[in-house]
Amino acid sequence: MAEKDISIIHPRPSSIVAALYTLRDLNVDVAILHGPPGCSFKHARLLEEDGIHVVTTALDENGFVFGGREELSTLLCKVNEMFNPKLIGVVGTCASMIIGEELSEPVQDANLDVPVIGVEVHAGYPNNTKGVLIALESACDAGVIDDEELERQKVLLEEATNVEKRHGAASKEYLVPSRGDLKYKVAEKVINYLKEGKKCLTIMNAKKETGYMFADITVAINEVAEQLGVSDNVINMANVDDTLGLPRVRHHATSIMNDFREKGIEIHEIIGGMDEYPITGEKVSELIAEKYNDFDFAVITGVPHAIPMDNLQNMDVISVTNGPRQVYPLKDMGHSNVIVEIDLHPKTLGVSNIVESEFGATMRELTKDMQDAEEA
Amino acid sequence: MEQKRIAIYGKGGIGKSSTASNVAAACADEGYKVMIIGCDPKSDSSITLLGGKRIQTILDLLRQKIDVKEEDIVHEGYKGVKCVEVGGPEPGIGCAGRGIIVAIQRLRKVCKSIDDMDLIIYDVPGDIVCGGFVAPIRKGLVNEAYILTSGEYMPLYAANNICKGLAKIDTPLSGIICNSRSVTREEEIVKKFSEEIGSKLMAFIPKEQIVQDCERDGFSVLEKAPDSSVAGVYRELAHAIMSNDSSVLPSSLEDERLRELTR
Repeated sequence: MAEKDISIIHPRPSSIVAALYTLRDLNVDVAILHGPPGCSFKHARLLEEDGIHVVTTALDENGFVFGGREELSTLLCKVNEMFNPKLIGVVGTCASMIIGEELSEPVQDANLDVPVIGVEVHAGYPNNTKGVLIALESACDAGVIDDEELERQKVLLEEATNVEKRHGAASKEYLVPSRGDLKYKVAEKVINYLKEGKKCLTIMNAKKETGYMFADITVAINEVAEQLGVSDNVINMANVDDTLGLPRVRHHATSIMNDFREKGIEIHEIIGGMDEYPITGEKVSELIAEKYNDFDFAVITGVPHAIPMDNLQNMDVISVTNGPRQVYPLKDMGHSNVIVEIDLHPKTLGVSNIVESEFGATMRELTKDMQDAEEA
Repeated sequence: MEQKRIAIYGKGGIGKSSTASNVAAACADEGYKVMIIGCDPKSDSSITLLGGKRIQTILDLLRQKIDVKEEDIVHEGYKGVKCVEVGGPEPGIGCAGRGIIVAIQRLRKVCKSIDDMDLIIYDVPGDIVCGGFVAPIRKGLVNEAYILTSGEYMPLYAANNICKGLAKIDTPLSGIICNSRSVTREEEIVKKFSEEIGSKLMAFIPKEQIVQDCERDGFSVLEKAPDSSVAGVYRELAHAIMSNDSSVLPSSLEDERLRELTR
């Protein structure tokens, strides 16, 4: 073990689940978990909300001893009949990988006309990004993505891992989960700042579909600023470049941009694609140094810990995350307030429009109350 | 008397199954109630107690999803020795180690007669390649371990490694058995080895063709050639095992010392 490696004891995302999400981003219609029936159950359910079918070979005690070649090939044929898929993914689990199950042989046995991506992954990797990587390599082998995209993704994954090690969920041996600061208090602070004529940077640096909710915070701040007549004091940055990333990820960027446009919100700086959250930090830093050095406060949403503090030192930094274990690391970075959007992820699955956030709703309600009080 | 539950370890091919079945037969001759549980996926431990006949293994039946009962898996052989074979998946597929764990759990659940035995012999595979292969010990089913070796370097090397393993899992060693391959100074070498790891030599089984001949016919020496001298050796060994009441947590030798010993 290298000196700087730490032994993390809090539970964290699994590489099997990471592989499942990656298959979804590759637009598979069916993902087959080759393993025990309960493996990754909760995420399998969530992914079904997102429109893909997740099924399992349900290996039992006999399956562990005798292997599950036949179970897998039979299930491949069955899902092909049931769902008529255009692309299928097969994902390994701890149990099937430990007993040395081969994924390609059952695929040959089934002999379908549909391309199948076989991902030999288990959950025993310290960084769950390994699951994404293995899924992408398998997709490249199956001809679903090209080498260029694979190389691009590799860079992003390495950076994503580094981001987590620096200030994220892999930065300490044990991170206490927290619900963060009271949304009411922070909303009040933001509204007062805007009232006082302070200049605001919104930085949405969201990971893929989570952007559907983090975008709402950008929307809410702009709405409030407009009502207060200070629209010009707000500059918006967001990672919504829809020319980058896997098919589904590009689609999210297009959908969110359409909603922004419809709501009359201008994104002044597009800081990258929706899978580029680990590498947008540098660009954001440069932009601030060049153009926005005199701003008073910043609201960073999504993966706030990927944005370096170097050029944010003179601003009051407020961040919004969906990770309860991200609160303390963000405070350690120097953010004055950290808000957690609890259960954000499930609410952003299976949607293609911006969904309301609690923080956004709080800001809207509070502004209304303040205006009503002033009128009265 | 307290029930003896032993396991015989040793390098693959050194004669564990032969020794186990001949000891089982010798003990049965003495009137002891004996069970032999073959834990090798090859399922050949009990074959010479059953006149060369193979029995259905526990895993054979589990694979067919049969609700296994005692009479399906416990077969009486020579002089009432109860024979059980764990079995295993096809070579190269699934997990034999897990198979042993599952099969033994099932055996304990359905086999009532196991508690009445005077001696239970677990015939374990030579290579303890994963956790499942030490399950009989780890699950507290075995209370005495023996190691079978010849005086050759490689079997002794394996025996020495097994000593390390036994110490690691806190299992005492009850003795060393020498199954001769007719190499020079063999008894002396194995005796010395036994002493240096803190144990004792239980028996020296000479290499005799009669053992092979009986096996080829599907029988133990005790059944087919009870008057042979080697049958007498097995009887003595059986007696020594049944009356053995000392065991030690073995130490192991440095590689260099082991080499020196066999030179």
